[in-house]
This record gives sequence, C-alpha cells and structure tokens, in this order.
Amino acid sequence: MKRVVLLVVAIVLVAGCESMGKVQPWQKGNLAKPEMAFDPDALEARFADHTYFSKEAASGGAGVGGGGCGCN
Amino acid sequence: MHNKTNTPARSVIAAALALPGLLPSSAHSQVTAPNATLVQFKFLYYKDYQQSGDRMTVKSPALYLLTPITDDWVFEIGAVYDSISGASPYYHTTLSGASGKGIHDARKAADVTVTKYFANRTSVAVRGAYSDENDYRSTAGSVTIRHATPDQNTTFTIGGGYSGDSVFPTVGTPQTYYKRTYDAIVGISQVFTPNDTGQLNYYYAHQSGYLTDPYKAYWGVDNRPMVRAQNALLARWNHYFESADATLRTSFRYYWDDWDVSASTVTLEWAQTLPAGWVLTPGLRYSTQSAAWFYYDPVYDPILGAPFPPGYLQNPNGIYSADQRLSAFGAITAGLKVSKAFAGGWIIDGKAEYYEQQASWRIGGDGSPGLETFKAQMYQVGVTRKF
Amino acid sequence: MRFAKTLAAVGAALSMGVASAQDVGKAAPAFDLPSSAAQNVRLADLKGRVVYVDFWASWCAPCKQSFPWMNDMQAKYGAKGLTIVGVNVDKKREDADKFLTGTPAKFTVAFDTTGKVAEAYQPKGMPTSFLIGPDGVVRAVHIGFRDKDREDLEREITAALGGARQ
Repeated sequence: MKRVVLLVVAIVLVAGCESMGKVQPWQKGNLAKPEMAFDPDALEARFADHTYFSKEAASGGAGVGGGGCGCN
Repeated sequence: MHNKTNTPARSVIAAALALPGLLPSSAHSQVTAPNATLVQFKFLYYKDYQQSGDRMTVKSPALYLLTPITDDWVFEIGAVYDSISGASPYYHTTLSGASGKGIHDARKAADVTVTKYFANRTSVAVRGAYSDENDYRSTAGSVTIRHATPDQNTTFTIGGGYSGDSVFPTVGTPQTYYKRTYDAIVGISQVFTPNDTGQLNYYYAHQSGYLTDPYKAYWGVDNRPMVRAQNALLARWNHYFESADATLRTSFRYYWDDWDVSASTVTLEWAQTLPAGWVLTPGLRYSTQSAAWFYYDPVYDPILGAPFPPGYLQNPNGIYSADQRLSAFGAITAGLKVSKAFAGGWIIDGKAEYYEQQASWRIGGDGSPGLETFKAQMYQVGVTRKF
Repeated sequence: MRFAKTLAAVGAALSMGVASAQDVGKAAPAFDLPSSAAQNVRLADLKGRVVYVDFWASWCAPCKQSFPWMNDMQAKYGAKGLTIVGVNVDKKREDADKFLTGTPAKFTVAFDTTGKVAEAYQPKGMPTSFLIGPDGVVRAVHIGFRDKDREDLEREITAALGGARQ
C-alpha cells in the first residue's frame, strides 16, 4: 500500500511540473540559498547517515558508493 | 562501529550528496561546476546508553574539502577518524560488561571524488573510498551521472556502486569473512516554484556474503542470511518562506528489504535565518520499523536458557538474531543546530541531538517486547571556510 | 490514456528550452531602468555604441568572477565605443548593493527588480550576456561565465567595435 502511495507521489511530481509554469533562471535567487540545498552540510549529512545506519535496520536513499557497514 | 563492526565507506553514500548543491553556487539541483573552494572540519561526540548502563562512546573528527581544479573538473576529499570505546550488547540488551572491559577501536576512512562537468549540463562523478579498523576493512567505488534539462529545472541522477569488505573478528578462531555490496540509485530533482524544490530517489542495494555480527555470534546466538536485498524510496521537499526568511526541509523515506524489515522515516528541519549571519535550525526525526523475520524476542529456550531462542536444539544452524537493531521499534530524534557566518567566508556551527528508540513508539504494528530503551546523545561542532 | 498525455506534455515542457529565446540577429529589446547614477539607463540612448548587456545577481557565483573582467573590458574599450550594462535581477536592491560593496563595478549597473527586462531578453542561465551592435541587433549571446570564455568574449567585442585587439 505504501509503495502505491509513493508511486502516485512520483507521478504527481512529474506531472505537476507542466501545470506549475517554468521557473526562469533569473527567478532562482531563493533556490540558491545554502539552506535550500537538500544537504547543505556535507559532514553533517555523513554523520547522520552513519549514525542511523549503525543503530537502525533501514538505510539508503540518497546516494551510492560503498556498501553496507559491517555492523550488519 | 559502534557495535564492533563497522562502517566503512558506508558514509560514501552521504558524500554522493556532496554534489554542487553544497556550495553557494547558483540554484541547487543544477548541473553547473562550482567555482569556490570549501574546506570543512567537524567533530562529533556520540554516546549511547540504556537503563542498565552506558554503551558506546564515539569521538569522530572529520574533514571535507571541495576544490574546482579547472572550469570543468572538481575534486573532493573526505576523511574521518572514529575513536570507539564502550560496551555493546551480546544479545538483546544484555551488555557485554561481564568481562568488564568493553572494546576500544579506531576506524580510519577516506574517500576521493573526481567530477567532470560537460557543456550539456551533465556531470560524471567517480568516487573511491577506503575504510580500515582493527577487524574490518572496506574498499568501495561508485559512479554517479547527473543531467539537467536546458532550463535547469529538472535534474536526472543515476548511479551505481560496489563495495568489497573483509571482516576479521578478534574473537574465535582467526578467520576472514567477505561481504560484497552492489548498489544503485535513480532519481529526479525538480524546481517547482522560485521557492520550492523536490527530489525523488529510488535506491537498491544487494549484499551478499558474511552479514552476521561476529561478536554477537560468538557471545550470543546470531546467524543471519547470506543475502540481503534492500530498497528505499526517498522523497524530499524544500520550501522557502519569504515572509519568515526561513526554509522548511522535509523528507520521507520508505524502506523495505527481504529480511522483512520495512521502515518509514520522516524528517523535518526549519532553518531560520536571523540577523548578523545567524541561522537556527531545529529538527525532528521519526522512524518506525518492523523486525527482521529471524529476530527473536528475549524469551529463551526453557532448557538452555539465555541467550538461546526456543527450539534452538532442534535447529542449531538456523537463522537467528537478538540484535536490537533488527527489532521492531519507533525512534525519535530532536535536535538543534546553530550557525554563525563571519566575514571572509567563515562559518562556525554547533549541533546537539537527542535520540531515543522505544518499542511502544512503533506505528503500524507492535514493537518488540522486553528490550531496554535505547538512548543516544550526539553533539557536533564544526568550522567551514569558503574561498 | 491520461498517463500517456501527461508524459507527452511533460516531454514537451522539458524540451521547450532547447531553442534560444533571444536569438542572435534580432533587435535587442528596449529597456529603461534605474541605475546607480541619477538618471535611468536606456538602451535607446546607447544606439551607435556597442553594448554588452550582462544579466547578473548577488546569488550567482560565476558573477563574482565576471565583474573584474567586465571592469577590465570597460576600461580598455570604453573610449572605442563599448558600454557595458550590468542588469541586476535581485528582487531586493539591498542584496545587489551588498554584492557591489564587495565586488565593485566600474561599469553601468541597472536594476531590474521586477524582472521585466529579463523576461524580454530571456537569459538562459545566470549570468548571461548579450552583445549588441551599434545597429541595435544582438550579435552574440553567452550563457555562464568561465575562465576560458574570456578570450572568445573579448574577440567578439573587438569584432563588434570593428578594430583589432588592443
């Protein structure tokens, strides 16, 4: 069920672009703010990933490169 | 790590996030080479504990550098040194304090990424990572390709990685085990309005080889499958509130694997810009997960007693684990980050977080009974310089 | 059926950016904008000169690099007929002023806070420069600013000025 919901979210996201009007290059000032990046702080993101990876069973979603952790 | 076997190039995953968006380049999720150098140092102090006593303590200094080499090439390097000490449970939440000593380990890891930017808004990043500790070594590599549409409002990402790990536990007969992981990601980032940007990624990883925790296997009962296929769907959304001069960052991840673990994780961060270069970011995270099919509750065999699961004698080579991480629970993190920008491209920041896992906090089913609450505190201080 | 239509529409939307909006060979759109000086800057007043219109913003990283080069060009070729106009598209004037304090402009700066001039010119990235000849026709359009672009850009300016490089 959850997978269906997420797939619908995906399609809505893609379909939604056409209905929203294009954002022009000169309108991207706010998007350029560091806080608007998905991971504004490289090391903070690494620490978080690493911590939750070691303490929970779920992981992944943001990038690749290097498998799991020995912590199994 | 933290439970005695650990993370190698695993943090390599987060570094894949170290894409142009991390620099104050023009709007993020564009595929344009950054033109500023960034150096960052951060120190993490982590400590976890439960009612019956302290568990692990980790101190990690880490370094990150990003520098453009020419107009089209960017070089990144990351390094971390984890100082790990303390005790972790043999099984369930029974601490390994019996022998009184606990462990002491140091992990060194480094990774390098080289990215080339092409004229048609495409970038190719190649990354290599290495991690080394007294009982675990990992070598990993990955390639990630990004491509943006001409209006730079849509960016496609595809990536693949491989990791080869060897485990040589310090207990039992000296032996080396192997594990390999293949992973892949596909994703789209989209600019929706001048104040909204979203991302959707599908991630897949396939692990094979020795996936058991050798210490839990030696001191308790732990024997895991030799394969694990994992999936994650991650959706993120950032919205800038002009009136408040603040950004709301949200994410939702749904995870499922063939160990029957499924988990949902939500995060919220509110980055509030204040005068004089201050930014205050409170954050909240909630995660709920189901137990692996072979996780057994702390109800032991009536004849053998702890740590043996009921029926162990009939199936001594069966698949079992008493690892709290594979149990069913809900977990909450509450944190606050404060940062201040100074002239000359300097930023100093500090973050404090509190984390707790409880069976009763699980949503979507019962939490695993009989486990002590797991708690952790995390503190970070960092300094960044942008040239 | 609906899904296929959606996919087609998305495909069309995504491919729309391919054609360059302010095409070379067309007349440059007029503008009349407030500037750092007392009077407004008007493209019409600059007829007969070679005009280099550069769209920039305080949040645009490559813009920082382009300013010293533009200062250089204005100094070198101003007497020979070149006028550089840096059109700022920040919504807030203070953001532009802050940038200019750290990275001064020795050329004319105009403020297009409403974005109307940008809409007329349709720059495809930030920064984007439009080289306009003395006849008011767009001669060249450049998206972005990189070190290696300097030579080509300067060559186009001198060609427009009708003389050899200094």
